Amino acid sequence: MINKHQPLRRFPDYKSSTVRSPENEPLLINFSNSEITGPLFNKNILNENDNNLILNFSKNGEKALGQEIFVHGFVKDENGNPLKDVLIEIWQANAGGKYRHQNDPSNISLDENFGGCGRFITSSDGYYIFKTIEPGAYPYPNRGIEWRPKHIHFSLFGSMFLQRLITQMYFEGDPLIKSCPMVNSIPDINARKLLVGKLDLSKTDEEKILGYRFDIILRGKQQTYFENKIEGS
Amino acid sequence: MIKIKNFIDTPSQTAGPFLHIGCTPSITGINIFKDELGSTPFKNISLNEEINIKGKIYDGNNDPIIDAMIETWQCDENGKYFNYQGFSRRVTDFKTGEYQLKTIRPGNQINEDGTISPSYILFWIVARGMNRPLITRMYFDENEIKSDVMFKNLNIQDRLKTLIPYTEDKKNFIFDIHLQGKKETIFFEF
Repeated sequence: MINKHQPLRRFPDYKSSTVRSPENEPLLINFSNSEITGPLFNKNILNENDNNLILNFSKNGEKALGQEIFVHGFVKDENGNPLKDVLIEIWQANAGGKYRHQNDPSNISLDENFGGCGRFITSSDGYYIFKTIEPGAYPYPNRGIEWRPKHIHFSLFGSMFLQRLITQMYFEGDPLIKSCPMVNSIPDINARKLLVGKLDLSKTDEEKILGYRFDIILRGKQQTYFENKIEGS
Repeated sequence: MIKIKNFIDTPSQTAGPFLHIGCTPSITGINIFKDELGSTPFKNISLNEEINIKGKIYDGNNDPIIDAMIETWQCDENGKYFNYQGFSRRVTDFKTGEYQLKTIRPGNQINEDGTISPSYILFWIVARGMNRPLITRMYFDENEIKSDVMFKNLNIQDRLKTLIPYTEDKKNFIFDIHLQGKKETIFFEF
């Protein structure tokens, strides 16, 4: 029995998953100290502009090119309690859909004022905010050439390794979402919707840039799978 | 007992082939942050206690994966976890697929129920093509884990060797991870 809220490891529509997923089901075991502990990151690792991708790589005060946006939200546990001190790292393509990465084969231009990464640590109420530019969609080889919807990669550290999460935020209304095999690898349609940042005009007047709201829920100690719990574990 | 959760935990998605931009940015030439996280699991490792682990992650075609990130997490030599040390981030080499980790050998840990676990290092692996992370552990002694309470009742005794690195001197270890095939590594879920 599978957890239909998490993606299938092997999803043939996403071709590379077929050779990069184990053939055996992972072994379900009780967590031990290594899962209920984890690294904790202090706010003193952050520079002032680490969460501002429009400025944090810019030269001579110039800004990154593109539709400026902010992405904000709350990180919570499964019971809705805010999670403070969660390190969030994000990375993304530039407005043209090009990553600042030596392995990106795209011939789209780099933006010399855009690095494409940022980080932030949630406040006591679990809140985070990034300012950035809307990333471009881009083609990639899958079953022939396919298009990734616009997305921002998110990496989160809760207070224990059990909560470690890497995911992606998509943008409300992007027509490429529904054909994306990475999104569709999640069996539950409602769970897929949790990855879509919602247009949020609440702070737009103040910031003069478009806002997106993306809340993130990190798991607790409750096991993800119940149905195949191994006898004696 | 199954408790009802109020919220569904956010689904995982692949870290993709460009995870370095966000996780190990200096590799991509981005040096805007104060420090690179997880560059070493412990500060000031002495030559005496240092161990070196290296290896590759092989996909279903038996090709090394050149765009993976491994996060390791471990206790200190006394079996204690601290939130300010014990964490590292390694990436596989773009050409060879090899990762390398210099660390110390963790001690046996005392669990909440008083039992003692053989020493191990947690490996948390993400890459393009992995919709969810793969979690495994590198143990040091096959006999120790064969008699460990966690494993002894499970019908996987013949696969336990996949959790043990190769070593000739107990100082340098080769720990290869196989995603598929006869040598498929044991992965864990919690």
